Formats: sequence, C-alpha cells, structure tokens
Amino acid sequence: MCGIAGILLKNGDSGIDTGPALIDMLDGCQHRGPDSTGFALYESGEEGQLKLRFHVGSDNEAGGAIASLKQVFDEHGARIIEEERIAGSYRVVVRFRGDLQKFSYAVEHAAKVVSIGESLEIVKDVGGAHDVDDTYDVHLFRGSHGLGHVRLATESDVKPEASHPFWATGFADVAIVHNGQITNYWKMRRRLERRGFAFATDNDSELIAVYLADKMNQGIPLKDSLASSIDDMDGTFSFLVSTRDEIGYAKDRLAAKPMIMFENDDLIAIASEEVSLNRLFPGRALDTREPPPGSYRTWSRSI
Amino acid sequence: MVTIDLKDLSTREANEGIREAAARGDTVEVLNPDARHHIGVGVIHAVDIHVRGSAGYFCAGLTDTPRFHIERNAGWGLADNMYRGSVVVGGNAGAIAGVAIRGAEVVIRGNMGSRAGQVMKKGTLLCCGNANFMAGYMMYGGRMIILGESGERLGEDMTGGEIFLGGDLVSLGSDAMVTDIAEDEIDDIRAFLDRYEVPFRGSFRKIVNAGKKLRYGTPERQVRSIPYFNFSGDSDYWNHKVQEDVYIKSQIGRYRVRGYGGARELPHLADLAFARDIVPGAVGEDPVSRVRMHTLIGGKNGAKPLDLTMPVLIAPMSYGALSRSAKQAVAIASGMAGIAENTGEGGMSDAQRDAAGQLIFQMLGGRLGWNIHDMNRADGLEIYISQGAKPGFGGQLMAKKVTKELAEIRGIPAGIDLRSPSRHPDILGADDLVIKVEELREATGYRLPVSVKLGAGRIHDDIKIAVKDGFDFVELDGMQGSTGAGGAEVMEYVGIPTISAICEAERALASIGRRQDIEIVLMGGLRDGVDAVKAMCLGADAVALGTAAIIAGGCIACMQCHVGQCVTGIATQDPDHEKRYKPEIEAQHIYTFLESVRWQIAAITCGLGYDDVRGPCRDDLVALTPEAAEITGLPLCPERRNAGLPEIDAAMERALR
Ligand SMILES: Cc1cc2nc3c(=O)[nH]c(=O)nc-3n(C[C@H](O)[C@H](O)[C@H](O)COP(=O)(O)O)c2cc1C
Repeated sequence: MCGIAGILLKNGDSGIDTGPALIDMLDGCQHRGPDSTGFALYESGEEGQLKLRFHVGSDNEAGGAIASLKQVFDEHGARIIEEERIAGSYRVVVRFRGDLQKFSYAVEHAAKVVSIGESLEIVKDVGGAHDVDDTYDVHLFRGSHGLGHVRLATESDVKPEASHPFWATGFADVAIVHNGQITNYWKMRRRLERRGFAFATDNDSELIAVYLADKMNQGIPLKDSLASSIDDMDGTFSFLVSTRDEIGYAKDRLAAKPMIMFENDDLIAIASEEVSLNRLFPGRALDTREPPPGSYRTWSRSI
Repeated sequence: MVTIDLKDLSTREANEGIREAAARGDTVEVLNPDARHHIGVGVIHAVDIHVRGSAGYFCAGLTDTPRFHIERNAGWGLADNMYRGSVVVGGNAGAIAGVAIRGAEVVIRGNMGSRAGQVMKKGTLLCCGNANFMAGYMMYGGRMIILGESGERLGEDMTGGEIFLGGDLVSLGSDAMVTDIAEDEIDDIRAFLDRYEVPFRGSFRKIVNAGKKLRYGTPERQVRSIPYFNFSGDSDYWNHKVQEDVYIKSQIGRYRVRGYGGARELPHLADLAFARDIVPGAVGEDPVSRVRMHTLIGGKNGAKPLDLTMPVLIAPMSYGALSRSAKQAVAIASGMAGIAENTGEGGMSDAQRDAAGQLIFQMLGGRLGWNIHDMNRADGLEIYISQGAKPGFGGQLMAKKVTKELAEIRGIPAGIDLRSPSRHPDILGADDLVIKVEELREATGYRLPVSVKLGAGRIHDDIKIAVKDGFDFVELDGMQGSTGAGGAEVMEYVGIPTISAICEAERALASIGRRQDIEIVLMGGLRDGVDAVKAMCLGADAVALGTAAIIAGGCIACMQCHVGQCVTGIATQDPDHEKRYKPEIEAQHIYTFLESVRWQIAAITCGLGYDDVRGPCRDDLVALTPEAAEITGLPLCPERRNAGLPEIDAAMERALR
C-alpha cells in the first residue's frame, strides 16, 4: 500500500540532485500513498560524528524527551555538536565512538528514533512529498543517494513513526523502503530477537532492514544479503535498501509488486512506476527495465 | 491529426480530448506522455492514436476498435479488456500486458512483465522479446505468441487458448502441457508476424491446457433436499443434514458446494429490538406518503448518483447463478419499485438493461462479460472484492450451468466447472486499487458512481482503504449473505456477521473522521423492512436484498442453486427448467414484496416519531442478547424480546385488508 523510489548518483555529471529528485519521484506516485511521505538521505558526514533524528512530539512531550535523550548522551559519552527542532522532530549531531548498538537501544528508550548514521538522515511525516519538503527542506539535500516512500495508512491516526523509510534499529546508515507484505514476519522476527536484536515497531519493513544489517555486520556483502533475503522472506515484496555507499533492490518470486528502473552512466533510479522515473526526464522516453521476479542487485557510488 | 500535449493537460482533460477526436474519426497524437497512467482509456472508435513516448498503467484499456501505437514502453495492464483494435508497443510492457483482452491484437516489440495475458479470452498477444513469470495465467482463450524465453510457469492454470513459444521453455505452469502444432496454425502465426513486420524464422512449440483441473473429480451425488428448517435452529445434533453431509463427503472426498445463505445461528438483526414501543396511532393509514424515503447514493465525488425511491437496492446476483428469466424478473421489479438492480458477475443483457431503471455493472476478477460498452450504459460501476458468503473466494459455477450461450457471453470455454478467480489481476493492494478505480472513472468520463463490494472480514482496515481509494459507496456484506454456489464450510465459518460488519465499519470510519466521505449499503441476510430500519439505525445509508427478492420471485429455498436443475427455473441454465419461470408474473410478486418493504420502513420510521428514513438512529435500538450487545455496543434489554411491533402488525393488517 505504497510507492517507493530510490536514486544513486554515480558522479556529479547528471545535473540532478538527490533531494529534489526524490521529491519529484514521490510526487509522481503520490496516488499510491497519500497519507505520509518519507526520505532516507545520505550526505557524507564527519568521521566520528553521528547524525540522529527523533520524533519527540509536540512542545510538552518534546521537552521531556529531549531532556532524557541528553541524559543518555551523557551516560554514553556522546557530545552534542549541533541540535535543532523541526516540527515534531529533533535532529542532533553528536561526537560518539562507543558501541553503537548499545547506544541506539539506550536512546530508543528515551525517544522514538527515526535514524542514526554517519551519513544517513531519515525525514518522514504525514502529508505529501511537498508537504514534508515544506517542513524539512528536503530539496536542499545534495548527497550521493537516497530512498523515498509514500504510504497509505490503515491505522487510525497516521503517525509519523509508522511511515517509511525504516532505519535498521541498532545499525548505522542502513535504511529501507518496502512495498508489500512479509508473511513470515513473526517467525523471522523471533529468530532475530533470539540473537539479541530489538525492534522499535511491528512493521515488516523494519524487519527487513534489521535482517540485512545483521548479515552485513557479519561481513556478508549487501548483494549476498539480498540474495538470502529472497529465500528467507515469504510474502510479496519489492524493496530498496541503502547503506553508506550502496543502494540495492530485491523483488519476490511472485512479482506481485511493481518496480522499474532506469540506468545511465550518471545515475541509477528505481521506482514503483515509470511515471516517477519520467519525472526526472520530462518529455523523454526512457529505456527502462523491469527487474525479473526473484531478482536483486546493488550499485555503489564511486568513492 | 489532433495533438494532445500532456505537458499542459490533466489526464482527464487529455482523455476527453482523445475521445472527442476519436469520435470525429481524427487521428490522435499524444505528446509528452511521460509514462502517465490511463492514456486513451475508453476509446470506442477505430482511429489511430500515436503515443510519442512511454505510457503508464492501463494504456488503451477498456477500449474497442482503436489502433494504438506506443513509441516506447507501457506500464502494467496494457490494453486491459480491449475488445477489437490493436496496440503496438515499441519497447517493453509491464506486468499483465493484454489482461482480459477480448479480440484485440497486442504487439510488444520488447519484453513483457509477469502474468501477461491473464484471463484473456480472445485475440492475440505477441511478445517479440522474453515473457516473464506465469505468462498466460488463467487465460480462457485467444492466442499468445512469445518469440523469446517463456519465463517460469508458462500457462499456469490456463483454461483455454493457445500459447506458441519460439524461444526457450523455462518451465510449464500447473495444468499446462506441450502439444502438437498444425501446419495452418504456423501459417496463421507467420501471417500475423508479417502483418506487424516482425522478422522471425524460428520454430514454435504449442502449449495448451492439460485438462486435469477443469472439472471436480467426483461429482456430488444428487440428493433430495432437506429443507432449511429441518436442520437448522434447535435441531438435534446428528440430524439428517449432518448425516447426509458425512455420507456425501465419504463419496467425494472434498468440501461440498451449495447455494443459498448461511444456516448456522449467528448474532443478527433479529437479536436487536426497537428501544421503544411504536406510538399507537403514529403509524396512521398511509405512512408511505408521510415519510421522506427518496435516497441518493453514489454522488460523493461528483458522479451522478443512483436515484432511489427508498433506501433499498437489489443485491448483485449473477446471470449464470440465476437464469436469464430470473434476472429479468428482478430487473423489472426493481424498475417498478424505483430502486437499483445489479448485474453481479457475468455481464449485462439487453433485457436486463431495458427492464431495470437503474443498473449497477459489476466487475470481478475474471472480467467475465466486462466491457466498455456495457460500462457506458450502466448507472454505476462496482468492483467486487469479496462477498459475505465466501470472503476471499471467487464465484463458482458448476459445469451444468456453463452452457454455450453463457460461456459465449463470459468469453470462456463451455462445460467447465468454472471457478472464477478470487483475485483481480490488477488489484494486489490498495495502491493498485486506486489506479484501477481511476481507470474506470477515466474511461467513463467520471459520470458514474464507483462502488466496491466487500464481504466483511477485516472490515476495519478494508473500509478505510475503500474511502481512501475514493470509492463513492461500499456494498458491505455480512456472513449471513447468500451465494449461488460456495464451499459449505466457507459459507458457515468464514467472515463476520452482518451486524458486526456495519458496527466495525462505522467505528473504523469514525476513527479517521471520514464517515461523511462514503456511503454504506448493508446486506447479508436482511429479510424485510424491519431489518432494513435496524440496519439503518446502526448506520447504513441503504440496504440491499438478495435472497428475499428471489424468494418473493418463487424460490423454494431448497439450497441446490449450484446444481443447475432448479425446479422453479430460477437458478438454472437449462431451457426446459427455465421455461417454467414466468418473468412478468414473478416480477409482479417481487415488486409487491418490495412495496411491503417500503411500507414497513415507512411505518416504523413514523412509529418511532420521524418523518425521514434518515431519522432512526442507534438510540432507537437495544440488544436482546449479550453477544449482540457486545458486538453493537447497544444496551442489553432482553425484556424487550417480546415487545414486538404490535402497532405495525395491526396497521399492516389494516393496510392489507
Ligand atoms: C444466486 C446468487 C448469486 C449471486 N451472485 C453474486 C455476484 O455475482 N456478485 C456478488 O457480489 N454477489 C453475488 N451474490 C451475493 C449477493 O450479492 C449478496 O451478497 C447476498 O445475497 C446478500 O445477502 P441476502 O441474499 O441474504 O440478501 C449472489 C447471491 C445469490 C443468492
């Protein structure tokens, strides 16, 4: 019940910027999900610094949440370099060199984490692509790659934290957008929980993110992690994943969820519908490809 | 040549322009299509339409006779349901290319996505490149030609038609097999390829249905029917019906199929009562003249609403399950009563169209009988997702009822046990559904209300999706709803009761503050005007009656609708049986019954102290059982059980005298 998009710029020659590109692509498929919109954006950060984003809610709650966060920062030796409140969210950059998983589980208890990473920042909220941009200035992002998601919600009040992209709780810089449904969710989740991982939501997309991050943490390349995800996950899915240097996709064997891609020397763009890709190149017929069922692939940026 | 530039136009404006030009016989050129959806849907004139670029979903869908030329790619659902005419795609086509085509020629010069040709019935789908997963899935007829690789599971569950494969066979689908090709078939293919200037000199393999799944193995032995009241309610445990059931299953080794409504006791409208006695004298002599009953349904988003003399519709019932004569009788009666009739599955007949004042045209997953011309002459369009009697299942029509004539209308082979698809080829989630709804609106110029039929299961989520996807109204069906044929266990044990359905729907819509954006027509075991008023007290904007109308028209409730030998001529396709049915006479009976419903609705509305059918509300109801109280949240007042409606009964008696 959603639309997804992703882009990776291979070099600086495309004349396209990630922020505006993702806004356009998502606006092009907003019909697939009018309730909320989100972006996972990558801009290289400083060595040893972490960017954190939280949902802290409105004024009163926000004060409390930020206070408890600062306490956790203190306890874990994270020093604040920059901080900012935007709408119901709180963005902070800290200097941190400890155990990231421990740190992120600890901050999770203080406030709702949206993303943690050296270069990843996730921005998501209710409304359309342009609404979210109006609040968070997504169009200013100039990074190398990013993902986006539009969502139709069935819960009663559309909560920003239930929207995508999802961050792989406990792992820096891994984000996912997903269209579909993982039907062996609880089985997979219990398997991961037994190994000590915690989940911030009951959303199957978070599960995919944690699953992949865990594999990569064991030294398995993203590509191979995607391959095994197709074997391990049941259901219908088309998802995009991003790390600090790569993006990739995987598609289920039933091919029930759409996905289409366009690649040239300068960029790779993937979306639920070609209409999103065409937004990047108005008036041009593109040489696109639909990935076959049960396939996966990755692309890395040149570093 | 007329040029339509999508750079400056909404799709709706563009399509209006395309249709107007086509009607004048002009060639059309579409510039800057930029993969936008629904380009050229609904065109019914034989003109050339050039799409200069790539098209999005459903390009050339719901059309008859145009010739589309798409320069590059096409998205999902290319040429959806296209009758005659042609589409040539210069690049690739997405999933379900050629879905449900019925005579069109579709040529894809590149590759095509998954499930190409799903439920296609007639015409040719040519893919010059590679096909993908499950090409020919559930195809009923026509010809598919694939010059490249087949993809996995070619011809999965195909019923009819032929697939000719020029490239490698990756794997065959269930119930598909390779067979010999005749010389003239090859000649035909060569001629087709030449006509579209496709150079291919390789050889072909032919794939057809293997015939292992078209009929149930052991047919059910015919039994003497045991009437409903002999086995339901407070009957003894191992009653005759249970014994019969065990015996038959010992022969056939599978679930049984039957028609009619649920037989299991469930919380229902009868477990609710009016909170107050009807005020003596309030009903008066002629309540119908004193109560505003006129109801409009379906106008929420600017379409022309159904205009009903009372908040009652006929439930969708298929021509197929019912005979043509029975459908005709219901249609005539609905016209006389000034309410709306519904085609159900299996297409629209002229007789039905003419007789019904207002007619909703229903679209199901098999797209059996679905077409643009009948859409254009309908008064509403309805997407069937599921029904209360068998949520999650498609229609079933046993071979006996799949006659030549019926098969012709539906576009399927005659004499199969037709198990209609339970899913739509192009609706796999709320995200696809919204694009489908738009396609129907685009094709008919946004004139018609678009509704959704939902059998209540997870209604809490489903109704929110319905409102968010822009439906005008929901036909909400509880598990007491009837069917022409369904698996017996499914009918008794799957779904939620009608009163749960409406209460959950109301709560769900209230929770997102969207109740005012959609209308609800409730059905599923409603028997009369009393049930109708109770349903409306719980929130329904109108109700629909299926079984009650059929009984009024002569049904004897033998529950053998599926067999096809209905003695009354209602649920049969056998001309000898149908001869017994007198549509004009039965129409009068159905009409008279509908008037009794009208009278009851009016009388109760008056009696409760209102002068408008929209007056009665939850405060006017109480629950008689703990279950009903729990489900509805109404106060539990078992002492009202025998309160009855004496004043209504007395007035009814006076009126009938
Ligand atoms: C003979 C018969 C055929 C039916 N065919 C359809 C159909 O084609 N499409 C549909 O949505 N529902 C169909 N139904 C279900 C009815 O629309 C409806 O859900 C049910 O009959 C309502 O409950 P009621 O019969 O208790 O009034 C059929 C029901 C019967 C009895």
